[in-house]
Amino acid sequence: MSLQNKPKKNNTSFWDTRRGVIRTQKGGWVINEAIHNHGFSMMDDLVGKTSFFQVLFLNVTGRLPERRLTDWLEAYSICLSWPDSRIWCNQIGSLAGTMQASPLVAVGAGVLASDSFLYGPGTTKAATEFITTALLQKKNGISIEDIIAKKQRNSISPPKIVGYTRPIANGDERIPAMERVTQELGFEIGEHLCLAYDIEKVLVKKFNEKMNIGGYRCPFLSDQGLTAIEIYRLLSPVVHAGVLACYTEAADSLSESFFPLHCNDIDYQGKKSRVVPAD
Amino acid sequence: MTAQTVNVQKRDEQFTSRTVTRIWHETPLPENPYLSDRCHCHGYDILELTKKRSFVDVLFLLFQGELPNRKQAELLEALMVSMINPGPRHPATRASMNAGVGKTSPTHILPIGLAVLGGAHLGGEEVLAAMRFLRKNSKNDAGTLANRLLSRSPPDEGDYHIAPGFGSRFGGIDPMPQQIADLAEGLHPAGKAVKWGQKFVMTITPQGLGWLDTGITAAVFCDLGFHSRDGAGLFQLLRAPGILAHGLELSNKPITSMPFPDEENYVITEQAKKK
Repeated sequence: MSLQNKPKKNNTSFWDTRRGVIRTQKGGWVINEAIHNHGFSMMDDLVGKTSFFQVLFLNVTGRLPERRLTDWLEAYSICLSWPDSRIWCNQIGSLAGTMQASPLVAVGAGVLASDSFLYGPGTTKAATEFITTALLQKKNGISIEDIIAKKQRNSISPPKIVGYTRPIANGDERIPAMERVTQELGFEIGEHLCLAYDIEKVLVKKFNEKMNIGGYRCPFLSDQGLTAIEIYRLLSPVVHAGVLACYTEAADSLSESFFPLHCNDIDYQGKKSRVVPAD
Repeated sequence: MTAQTVNVQKRDEQFTSRTVTRIWHETPLPENPYLSDRCHCHGYDILELTKKRSFVDVLFLLFQGELPNRKQAELLEALMVSMINPGPRHPATRASMNAGVGKTSPTHILPIGLAVLGGAHLGGEEVLAAMRFLRKNSKNDAGTLANRLLSRSPPDEGDYHIAPGFGSRFGGIDPMPQQIADLAEGLHPAGKAVKWGQKFVMTITPQGLGWLDTGITAAVFCDLGFHSRDGAGLFQLLRAPGILAHGLELSNKPITSMPFPDEENYVITEQAKKK
């Protein structure tokens, strides 16, 4: 079917003004002048004077943050850098290593895997949106019990709130470690984090479900003025050190010696063997 | 020490103003130059190809610039079917399954599996190396070369790839690639690379070495006229359906649907533990 009454000429002016040209508010390299970055000269103002995490923050948000905030982010990154090859993204690093893929493949694949709604930085948007919405709800007079109830399928089912459930374990040893960092760096407990603790109290009492590290980091970073999308972007590569640890061990071992499987280690439950029908 | 300024000279390289392709031609829509009215693949209208030719034919055309003859199409299709799934124990598939069961975004499942399939061990890099090996040695006697390579000492442990695409798997000869090689030889008796590989394998078999998936794939690619640099990516493409299917199979299942070794089976050496 051909399109009826379509205009003779499309208005493409939006794209025409962008065709053949890149306009950026971020920065770039001007030979013999500077490598500009959000108003800074990278070589003169940033290299050796700021931390890598400050520049990462600058690149993502356009703002150069105070050092203690990026020290907090760096400490947080350690919390997601376990060298445990059972963790899903890390195991992908091990599998890449055992197949002698490059370390960049391992990091790329492992980081991609952490874009999960169950663990890692992939949970960031949902966890942040929950706590920011919950704070608005609370300010509008909704009780914490009712905020939680909105996340329940029915009155007896456990609520599904990103930041308060954790695969494998209930409770999170990373939270006290980060609470210590938060305190040592002199941060106050803001309104998002305060609410997050209040929600945890109710969840523990009613469902024995504790906060996980995502449920801590997102309110904390919201209190620092970061949006959900900014946190998601900032934390996108955060698991890479754990992936690299697992990759390295597997890559330095004999190929396919990582966690090998017998044929019968796979439980086939599909159709029985049958003849291919004639064409 | 004060910082010194460095005079950076811009190279006088002439960058093209338009990117060149010999593969694809798009005819612009008269009312909107950003939209294409017709697309041609190496000169053939894609809609005409859609009506008249198979996916395999157009895949061959895309990379080689000409449509395959019937024998070539049959051989490529046979290879594609035989390679369609590395199986759920293959590390590349397991990577996609890990992504699936770990609730990684479904858009990432295939790239994760394919990335792991790119490695030098039974991956894309080995296909590339095997194609180069087969082409470099096509005029050498396969048996003589095999005997020369057999004179080298194999490693004390683990599998041994005597040459790219040829070796042992889990300490034995993988029977599947040998069966695929026999099938390929029957489909395309004139295929020099597969024939050469079969002779090579005859000599190395008594030592517990044989065809590997990467080797037979490389040989068929050579016989079909693919460039060696095409081999790594095409191998990933051929194995992609199975990798994706297994990843997706687990993506809506609970995280407990794959083993997670308990403390008893996750052994941390003493030196790695805090004293």
